[in-house]
Amino acid sequence: MSDAARKDARPPRNPGPSWGFRFLRACDHVLPEVVFRPARQIGTWIALANMPAQRRHSRDYLRVALGREPRTVEVFRHFFAFEEMLMLKLRVANGRPHRGELSADCEDFARFVQKPEDALLGTFHVAHSDLSGFLLGGDTGHRVSMIRLRMGNSHDVDKLGELFGGSVSFIWVNDGENLLYALKDAIAAGGSVAMKCDRLEFASKTEAFGFLGARRLFPFTIYHLAVIFGRPVFMTVAVPGAPGHTVVHATPRWAPDPAASREANLASAREHFQGFLAMVEGLLRANPYWWFNFIPLNPEVAA
Amino acid sequence: MPDPLNARLKTLMIDTLKLEDVTPDDIRDDEPLIGGGLSLDSIDALELVVKLEKEFGLKIGSSEESRSALASVDALSAYLRAHADPARLPSA
Repeated sequence: MSDAARKDARPPRNPGPSWGFRFLRACDHVLPEVVFRPARQIGTWIALANMPAQRRHSRDYLRVALGREPRTVEVFRHFFAFEEMLMLKLRVANGRPHRGELSADCEDFARFVQKPEDALLGTFHVAHSDLSGFLLGGDTGHRVSMIRLRMGNSHDVDKLGELFGGSVSFIWVNDGENLLYALKDAIAAGGSVAMKCDRLEFASKTEAFGFLGARRLFPFTIYHLAVIFGRPVFMTVAVPGAPGHTVVHATPRWAPDPAASREANLASAREHFQGFLAMVEGLLRANPYWWFNFIPLNPEVAA
Repeated sequence: MPDPLNARLKTLMIDTLKLEDVTPDDIRDDEPLIGGGLSLDSIDALELVVKLEKEFGLKIGSSEESRSALASVDALSAYLRAHADPARLPSA
């Protein structure tokens, strides 16, 4: 590892205690939900009180999403929605049956699920999206490599990885310098590669798009990779459906045109990504607590 | 007389990265490729690496290796002479 990489390889981020997931898992085994859910709500209030930075970022985001100053109880609901998603991940990791289904309007993605091709799958930290790679891999047997930020408490993901080990593998990132080369190897190995495309950390290429009332910076690396490797792109988010179900929303398939220039391909990719952002914004306007980025909202840039 | 491998690499870079208004003569043999006058970034470097792997039958496995190989055209030539399939290199 180079000096720069060593310097960049920060210790894994860990917003909660490392034993947190194991504790929740144990409680889930012994406590009835009628007791455990209020206990989780109390725990969330404690987290809210002890996480001033995340609380501030939640409030800043909700102010934009709601168009007004959020009340403290709304910040709590935002935190609790995230906690419930983590709880769901733990439960699925522990074997609770959970099914992914596709929204009615994503014919291209339905075809992809029926007959997978090697693609780049982009998603956001929104609602159940963390589960979509597992559900896709588990349901179809298609091999998916997932880019994940190594956290201090990755117990939930480790367990999910064990459960879906035959079809899902991880590229753990805490060294941004080699991310692109890890991606290159994963793409060359075949199967699909899934990555989060909403946070700017480790993003090699960013561009401004319309989102939540402003032009905001988003990672655009996935489309550059698609052009370089000639792979199609699907952007997806997964949201709660009926109990025990997650509904996956997906964009139409976008693929670079080998006969077109890089600029022409990236121009059409921009339209594709903007369409995805409009879809995500529609979901968030209806369900603002599904945005699971407790970091500064993607920064605005001048139009 | 210019090194034939250097000349080929300059043409390959211009074609692969679609560097507009750049000719092989504009690229100095000792000029840094990343962060230098060509303004190549990490994605450009990756694209170039993918092309080099295909063209010369080698594998560049890390960012560190890529940075060292892409330090300049001279450095890239030296790297290819040490690692590439000799049959794919232009004869001097």
